[in-house]
Amino acid sequence: MDVKLERINKNFGAVQVLKDIDLVFPSRKFVTLLGPSGCGKTTLLRMIAGLEPVTAGAIRFGDRVINELAPRDRNIAMVFQSYALYPQMTVRRNLGYGLRVRKTPQAEMDAAVERVAGILEISHLLDRKPGQLSGGQRQRVALGRAMVRQPDIFLMDEPLSNLDAKLRVTMRAELRRFHLDLGATTIYVTHDQLEAMTMSDMIAVMHGGIVQQFGSPGDVYSRPANLFVAGFIGSPPMNFVTGAVAASNGQAAFKSPDFTLELANGSAGGAQAREVVLGVRPQDLTLVQNPETAPVRGRVWVVELLGSEKLVEVMLGDRRRLTVQVRAETPVSVDDEVGVGFDPQRIHLFDAKSGIALRS
Amino acid sequence: MRPSYTLSDRTVGLLFIAPFVTAALFFMIYPVAEAIRMAFYSYNPLRPELSTFVGLANFEYIFRDPLFWDSFWQATVWTFLSIVFQTVFGVGIAMLLHQALAGMAIFRGLLLFPYIVPTVVIALIWRWIFNPEIGVVNHALQGAGLINEPIYWLSTPSMAMASTIMLNVWKYMPFVVICVLARLQTVPLELYDAAKVDGAGIVRRFLDVTLPQLKEVLIVVIVFRTIWTFNKFEEIYLLTKGGPGTSTFNLAVYSFEQSIANLRLGVGAATGVVMMVMLSLGSIIYLRVSGFGEDERAS
Repeated sequence: MDVKLERINKNFGAVQVLKDIDLVFPSRKFVTLLGPSGCGKTTLLRMIAGLEPVTAGAIRFGDRVINELAPRDRNIAMVFQSYALYPQMTVRRNLGYGLRVRKTPQAEMDAAVERVAGILEISHLLDRKPGQLSGGQRQRVALGRAMVRQPDIFLMDEPLSNLDAKLRVTMRAELRRFHLDLGATTIYVTHDQLEAMTMSDMIAVMHGGIVQQFGSPGDVYSRPANLFVAGFIGSPPMNFVTGAVAASNGQAAFKSPDFTLELANGSAGGAQAREVVLGVRPQDLTLVQNPETAPVRGRVWVVELLGSEKLVEVMLGDRRRLTVQVRAETPVSVDDEVGVGFDPQRIHLFDAKSGIALRS
Repeated sequence: MRPSYTLSDRTVGLLFIAPFVTAALFFMIYPVAEAIRMAFYSYNPLRPELSTFVGLANFEYIFRDPLFWDSFWQATVWTFLSIVFQTVFGVGIAMLLHQALAGMAIFRGLLLFPYIVPTVVIALIWRWIFNPEIGVVNHALQGAGLINEPIYWLSTPSMAMASTIMLNVWKYMPFVVICVLARLQTVPLELYDAAKVDGAGIVRRFLDVTLPQLKEVLIVVIVFRTIWTFNKFEEIYLLTKGGPGTSTFNLAVYSFEQSIANLRLGVGAATGVVMMVMLSLGSIIYLRVSGFGEDERAS
């Protein structure tokens, strides 16, 4: 079932936390609400769940407006950040709680609990209480409680953030797999861009109560709509250099205090003589062997080894630096004079005032 | 080499607990030991030279005394009903005060009022409130047309018992409310959200989320309130003096009457020892049966 948000607004007192949100979560897709804390993503999820009233606008499940429907009548399931398992109940009772409340016959309930426990490989834990489980096991029980009722829509509020890093990677893949197997619409909230990139069909990047960009993970990564998205998505973060676009020798070029860069035809998008911000990912920069010929030159300020890669921070001028990601075996050390190479196809230009991407 | 005037950690630790141990010895251990000793003696404070060891005679006396058994049953009724009403109203009021409404802090503050006012003052005020001729309760009930004749709150046996229970509930319910309210504020809100999504209505949310979370604090509160109520002396004595007749005697009042009015300090002490044994056994059995601390032991 698809979920449509139409001009959703939410105020807490005088504070407006969500502004005119328009989104469509396509049926059976995994959609992530991604943003820094305080961007309104959890509030939006809670509104879809019916736990938070809507100030203005409409939420539709299919064609039906469900603004006034109680959570229990929405046929949704939710996984909470803290898991929110009932501490006094065994895993079995936790899993079956939603069914028991709905007066499902005992045999049917047992079958559903056994089935879900089998899928999640927690059958041996059914008679334990949440207090006796590890974080990862609790996570699975919380997931199982959501799966057992076979809901139309899964809502997940940062379900992996309480797990340790290694388990998080495993659970990421499993969540994606369960989503494909269950075929329910999933709405997932996280502040972790890696989770968003790896699991989602679509990502809605949120900031300041506004959806900044809605698109596929590839889209938001390679074609960021504005400076916020460009800076938020990608690790290490994108380099930004402020400057202006001007014609030079009949060709558009980006000019900054530190360097001038010829632009590929049309990439400036008619930004002539305007203040712009040039964005380039560390992965899209190269270190050039002979600095004399490179358009951009600087001195290596610090080198960070990541394992297979290293991050080289190159000091250009007055405290302005560029991060370049290179293979770990690249010979470079602190205080080397280096040149930085750009790929004109892989740079992003943004209007300095509005922050909006400039495209041809 | 440490300077010689430095005390060892052990000595410092002992010094820190010394004031408490000293106070406890004088004000807790000694009186209890003395009461136990006295329970085996015949002791008249006016003729201390005649004090003699009488073995279990004091205990035989109280177990044969019908007034002891009347006091015991009355104490049980008064304790049981006081605790039931305190707990039920206490939880209810705590849940009301837990609502996030403007000005709630004022009500939470007012709650402490009955708890701070000295019992003597409260008892005097309640005697006026319960006064059959000029008391506000009868006046209000008559004004509302609920009763035609004034109710003799403190001078008929059953009404006197009801009045002492009302006073006790009124004065000590804030204790229950504070304990429960403190616990309520730590219940994770996500549990309620999860229950709502699972389809639980308001009653099931209370039974399946709130009540299990309150279980431990309620067990403790009930044990403490039971001990304190069963032993309570001044409320009954100040409000009814155990009367009319002996209809609101509890064991504390009985012990007081034996010791002070009848000058049989040995009998009074024996009553105290019996109360102590009953409450200790009762508390241990109750904590076992209610499964207090089960989760900690399991994990």
